[in-house]
Order: sequence, then structure tokens, then C-alpha cells
Amino acid sequence: MFEMVQEAFATVFTLETLFLIIGGTALGLVFGSIPGLTATMAIAICLPLTFGMDPGNGMALLMGLYIGGVSGGLIPAILLNIPGTPSSVSTTFDGYPMAQNGDAGKAFGFAIVFSFLGGLFSILILMFLSPALADIALGFGPFEFFAVTIFALTMIASLSGDSIIRGILSGFVGLFLGFVGSAPIDSYPRFTFGFDQLDAGFAILPVLIGLFAISEVLKNAEQRGSGVSNTKKIQYKIKGLGFSLAEFIQQGWNGLRSFVIGVGIGILPGVGGGTANIIAYGTAKNRSKYPEKFGTGINDGVVASEGSNNAAIGGALIPLIALGIPGDTVTALLLGGLMLHGLNPGPLLFEQSGDVVYIIFASLIIANVIMCLFLFFGMRMFVKLLSIPQHILLPIIIVLCVVGGFGVNNRIFDAAALVFIGLLGYALIKFKFPIVPIIIGFILGPIAETNLSRGLMQSQGDFSPFFTQPIAAFFLLLTFVSVGIKIWQNFKKKIKTDDSTTASL
Amino acid sequence: MKIFKPVLFFGFFTAILMGCSAEEEPVEGNDAANEGETEESADDSADEADEKTNGESDVDYPMETIEVVVPAGPGGDTDMNSRNISEHLQEELGEDIIVRNVEGGGGTTGSSEILNAEPDGHQVLFFHNGMLVNEILGLADYGFRDFELAGIPVMDEGNGFFVSGDSQFDDAEDFIQHGQEYPREASVATEVGSFTHVQLLAIEDETGADFNIVDVGGASDKIAALLGGQIDVAPFQYGSAVEYIESGDFKTLGILAEDSVDLMPDVPTFTEQGVDASFEKFFFFGFPPETPDEIVTTFSEAVETVVEENEEYQQASEDFYVSPDFHDPDETYDVMSEAYDYYEQLLEGVEADQ
Repeated sequence: MFEMVQEAFATVFTLETLFLIIGGTALGLVFGSIPGLTATMAIAICLPLTFGMDPGNGMALLMGLYIGGVSGGLIPAILLNIPGTPSSVSTTFDGYPMAQNGDAGKAFGFAIVFSFLGGLFSILILMFLSPALADIALGFGPFEFFAVTIFALTMIASLSGDSIIRGILSGFVGLFLGFVGSAPIDSYPRFTFGFDQLDAGFAILPVLIGLFAISEVLKNAEQRGSGVSNTKKIQYKIKGLGFSLAEFIQQGWNGLRSFVIGVGIGILPGVGGGTANIIAYGTAKNRSKYPEKFGTGINDGVVASEGSNNAAIGGALIPLIALGIPGDTVTALLLGGLMLHGLNPGPLLFEQSGDVVYIIFASLIIANVIMCLFLFFGMRMFVKLLSIPQHILLPIIIVLCVVGGFGVNNRIFDAAALVFIGLLGYALIKFKFPIVPIIIGFILGPIAETNLSRGLMQSQGDFSPFFTQPIAAFFLLLTFVSVGIKIWQNFKKKIKTDDSTTASL
Repeated sequence: MKIFKPVLFFGFFTAILMGCSAEEEPVEGNDAANEGETEESADDSADEADEKTNGESDVDYPMETIEVVVPAGPGGDTDMNSRNISEHLQEELGEDIIVRNVEGGGGTTGSSEILNAEPDGHQVLFFHNGMLVNEILGLADYGFRDFELAGIPVMDEGNGFFVSGDSQFDDAEDFIQHGQEYPREASVATEVGSFTHVQLLAIEDETGADFNIVDVGGASDKIAALLGGQIDVAPFQYGSAVEYIESGDFKTLGILAEDSVDLMPDVPTFTEQGVDASFEKFFFFGFPPETPDEIVTTFSEAVETVVEENEEYQQASEDFYVSPDFHDPDETYDVMSEAYDYYEQLLEGVEADQ
């Protein structure tokens, strides 16, 4: 194995391959940083380019795009409160407040370093543990998926802001949006009102960008219109990585937990990085000694989000490399890429095409380093973005969002859906509904429903396997415990506040 | 000022919505007009084809990039087959061809887009048997007869059923017998309302066996479910299972073919094991309704040349375990009609259930 690694690095360190990785990472960062364009699109566009290359070079380019695409999302998340990709939704929660407090440099520092470490951690896991972990992932059938998704839905409680009731209602809005379109299993259209374009339902990207970007732009536009000056100058001091060694060590445990969550969620087919960052953030908040500080610009939040989304990269590649099973849309594209190069992804990939597999590993490591360098030296430039007047910057962002929405499936419908969801999001924000639960409900609802139906098909209508299969039972128990604790905490808080109000009377 | 903005946005949005619906309306007319027409064109096209080959064609086609719409995700077999033929077809036609994946709705999102597209030959659908099933199950209110069919470039005869390496089933007989003796005990993977579902119904119909048919999702989900031991039997295209057979993870029960297939001579068929069910997965090109015959003919002749003469294409197809096997538009119509009637009869029960 050591020899193979050495050989792979020797191949990758040729001028052509290195150039492809650098170019891929740079392009990926651009795609990732523009709201509406994602790693998936970057790879879909560049995939045909790789057909003419030899397999190693093709994979090197794609890995650069993948790493860059997932990482680039942190830039607009921190600076503009708009996640560049689904993977950096929760980076906005604390990254943006940090930037507003004048700590953009620190937010970037933490985001970049933990993106790098998360990526590296997952690549190492991918290299050394993938067969074993892939076997565990195979143990996840419909019962287990359903239970995990239900557990993940409880994150709504932690990410609801002030009012859990509003959070739950928002979650239902998300679930409802997820219902639109062909039903899972029998594909009969639901809530389409006979409108053919709705048959496929809403794609995730228009929903995400609509909720986070369009509504954010509308919010800003409104502030300008009402005469509130947005021109407060924020001083950015950027020095080194922006944080001290002590601060870094403080994040060690939080970082490691986020990496593990990222890899773990990444491995599960169909769940992926978009969910990993939200779950890692929710967990960090739940486990924190000072959960009330989350959302005000705290290092822990940025670390959890960015550590986990890059760790999900290696996770998603595990079933692909070990078994030939793609975990998300990006890995499905990579699978197609491998096959068109005449490689046969599957259990024999390591044996038959070990050279290419190790080139993939080497490219990932190098792309990870390059991503880190690009972002580190680029962050001084990124913050300049904020000196562009908002009335110029925001329309450009809207245009890019709409283009991105169109690019999902090359349908004008998706662009229109994006504007619609944006208006809906704006209205909900006006009524003080949190929007994060919408996205959680929207992503997880269909996964839960599909797996519930599939599980019942498998058991021929019997619900008991959901409680008797060990992994499923474990996660459902965890769900009850976590909901129970939340209710107890709220109850205690209420008694306390009641006491203090009566006392002050 | 404050009131104005929402109004503007709302106006913009309704304009978009109206734009969409305006595009769709004329289609209804097209559908009706077309139904009468396909019958005629089927008869005429033989004569017309003769004229075309004499170089009398007066349409200048293609004039710009041709877009092949694949109503399935990237990386699957439909996508791979479409990219393979497109790559060589562009040399033949002298214009670039790009493949665009339009996923969703079991293929109806992509196919309805072509149904409503400009009939100028620069957008074409590449799809398979799934279209017939969509029509029969009422998931689409149109069918293959509404398209101007431009031929079948490739057939996949490796529609097989597979079990994990340590399964108690060794061949189709074991599998069928178990289904007859212990109804609904063996779980078989499928994607409800897909081509593999029809195959399963055919086997049940033919043998009287009864299986627990379970939806597990697409091809890669089925691989995961079979590897993970969550189901007993799963259907795949032979090409996507071959790696796992070599590694010993999977065993073949058989493929649904009448005779052994040249590409996979050692693979047993269901027919030779006494189960009379055979299926071919075909991939066809379909143009929007009312596309001029000249254009369809030019395109299908180019497809024929690639399939029958281009060795690179043939080799690449065989590497995916699919047979380069050209059918002209008339033959395509026949193949599809025949399959339609067969599937309709098999799916009768399913329709009634729902």
C-alpha cells in the first residue's frame, strides 16, 4: 500500500496533473462561493472534459472540483449571510454575526482550518477504513434510515430560535414543500394541481437559495428603502489565521465530533453534506455549556459546520470506492465518470484499478491543501466584497441565484420556483418564523416518508421492525430521549422565569 | 417606494408563471392533431424514405447544436448509452450534440419537455421502456405514439435477476419453486412502476409464484440492498452486476432472454430454465410531435450508420454489455407497440389496485 501511495503522489506531482488539480480546486471554489452554483454543477459541467483525459488526470480534476466546490460555500456564508452551497447553511448562523462584529478574519480562519482538517480526517478514514465502514453503511436499510431521519428531524428543536412552536410550524412548511410532486414509490402526483411542471416537485437548490439568498436580499433591500443606513463600516483586522493557539485547542473536541458526524452522515447514501452541517451544528449547540451563545457569533458554530461538511466528502466517497455505490449526486456523477473511463466501480475497484484509486486519494489530499492556501491568501480579497455598495452587489447576487436555479435541471420552472420560495421565505421571516426548520423538513421529510413506505413493504405492513431492529431502535430511543430532555429543559426554564417574575412582583 | 417593490416582484413572478403556462397550451392541440397523423406517417414513411436517400431532401438539418434530453440521472445506463451514441453521432451529423439530464417523475419530466419542444429536430428524447409503463399506469397522459420515433440504436438483453453469493437460491428454478411453495416469503427488489417491476409481474404471471415485491429505489440502491442482505433477490442489467459476480458477492439466477445472448454466452436464461418470459430493454430516440419527416429520416439514417459501421461505438457498447442493434423508425414503432400490449396486460392488476 505504501508503495502505491508513493507512486500515486509521483503521478500527481507531474505538471499536467498538478495543474488540473489547482485549476479544478480554483473553479470549484468559484462555483461553491456563488450562491446558486454548486459542486454538483461544477462536476457535471467538467465531466465531459475528462472523457478525453487519462483516468488519473480526469479524476484529479474532479476531486479538485469536489473539494473546492464544497469549501467555497463558506465565503458568502460568512460575508453575506447567504450559504454558497447546501453544505454551508449553518456556517451562516455564527459566521455572519462574527463578521458583523468585526471578526471576519477569525471566522475565516476557523472555517478554513477546520475545513482543511475535516477534509484531511475524512480522506484518511477513506484510505484506511473504507471497507469496514462501507459494511456498516450496508446494514442501513429502510428501518434504520427512517429512524436516523426522525432523529435528525429533532434538530428542529435546537435550531428554532426563540419559539419552538414557530420552529415546528416552519418544519411542517418544509415537510409540505417536500410533499409536492410525484409521491415516493408509486409516483402518483401530489399537490400539483394538474400543473405538469410540478410533477418532479421542488428541487433542493431553488428551495435553499430562495429561502436563504432571495429572502436575505429582500430583507436588505427593505432596510435601504426604510432609510436605515447599511453603510456602517466594519473594520476587519486580519492577522495570520485570526485565532490563537488556545482558541484552537478549545475547539479540539468540538472539531473532532463534527468530523465524525460529517463522515458518518456522508457515508449514508442519499443524506450527504447538506444534512451533515446542520446536524453537526445542532449537536454542538446541544452539547455546549453555553448554547444560548450560538447564533451570536461563536467560534464553535463555524467549526462545527465547516468541519463536518468537508468531512462528509470523504464519507460520501467511502461507499463509492469500496462498493461502487454513490452516496449523493456528486458521487453519482463521479461513478459515471469512472465507468466512462472503462473503470468498473465495485468491490474489485481496489484490486483492478488500484493505481487510479490511489491517485484519487492523492488528488484529494493535494486539493485539500490547495483549497486551504487559496482561501487563506484570498480572504483579504473576499472581505473587499463588502465594500461594494449593496445596491450593486445584491442585484448581481439575485441574477446569479436565478441562473443557478435554472441550471439545476435546465428548466425555467426552477428559476420561477426559486423566486416563489424566496417570497415565501421573506413573508415567513416577517412573521418571525425561523427558516432553518423549513430546509430541515424539506430535505428529511421525503427521506423519512420513502423509507417508511419501503420498510412497510418489506415487512408487509408490520411496524414492529422499526422498534426491534437494533440500529433503528437505538435511534428512535435517542429521538425520544432528546425530545424529552428538550421538553424538560423548557419546563424548567419556564418555572424559573415564572419564579423570578413572581419574585420581582 | 415600499409598496412598490413587492408589487413589482409579484408581477414578475406571475409573468414567469404565465410564460410557462402559455408555452404549454398549444400542446393540447398538438396531441390531438398528432394522433391521427402517426397512423398515416407510418404508412407514408417507407415511400418518403426512398426519396430522402436520393438526396432530394430540401431541409438544411442540423443547423445548430442538437440537445439530447435524457430523463434520468447522470451515470445510469440510460445516460451512458445516450452519451456513447451521441459522441459518435455528432461526427456523423456534423454538429455538436450535448446530453442534458432532466430527472424526475419517473422520466415524465424529461419526456414531457420534449413533447412540448420546438419540432425543429434540435431537441430529441432518449428514453427506454419506462415510457410505456408511465403511459399504462397513467403517470403520463401521452405516450410513445405522440413522438416522432427516430429509431433504436441499442438493445440491452441482460435483464437478469441476481442473488447474493451465499444465497440458498442457485438458479431460477430454486427461486420460482420457493415462490410457489412459500408465497410472499422471498423479498425481491424493484422500483414500483418501473421496467423491472413489469418483469417481475411477468414471472409471477407465468409461473404462479408469489413474491414479496419491495421497492428499494434505483440500480445502485438495489446493489446496496442486496449486498447488505436486506432483500433476497434483485434485478439488474447484467452489465451493472458483472463486477459483483466476479468478486463472488452476487450469483446470477438468469436473464430474461429467449436464447443465450452473444455478449454473455455463459449466462443462463430463464427460458432455458423453463420460465417463458423474455424482455429486451430498448433505448429509442423520439422527436417532438410534428417534427418534419425529412429531419427524422436524416437523424435516423445517421444513427443507423453509427450503429452499423462505427467500430468504436460497437466496442464501447459491448463493453457495457449492451447490443448495438439498429431498428428504423417503423420497426421501432412495432417493437414498442408489441411491448406496450404485453405490459398493459401484465399491469392490469396493478392498475386496478391503485
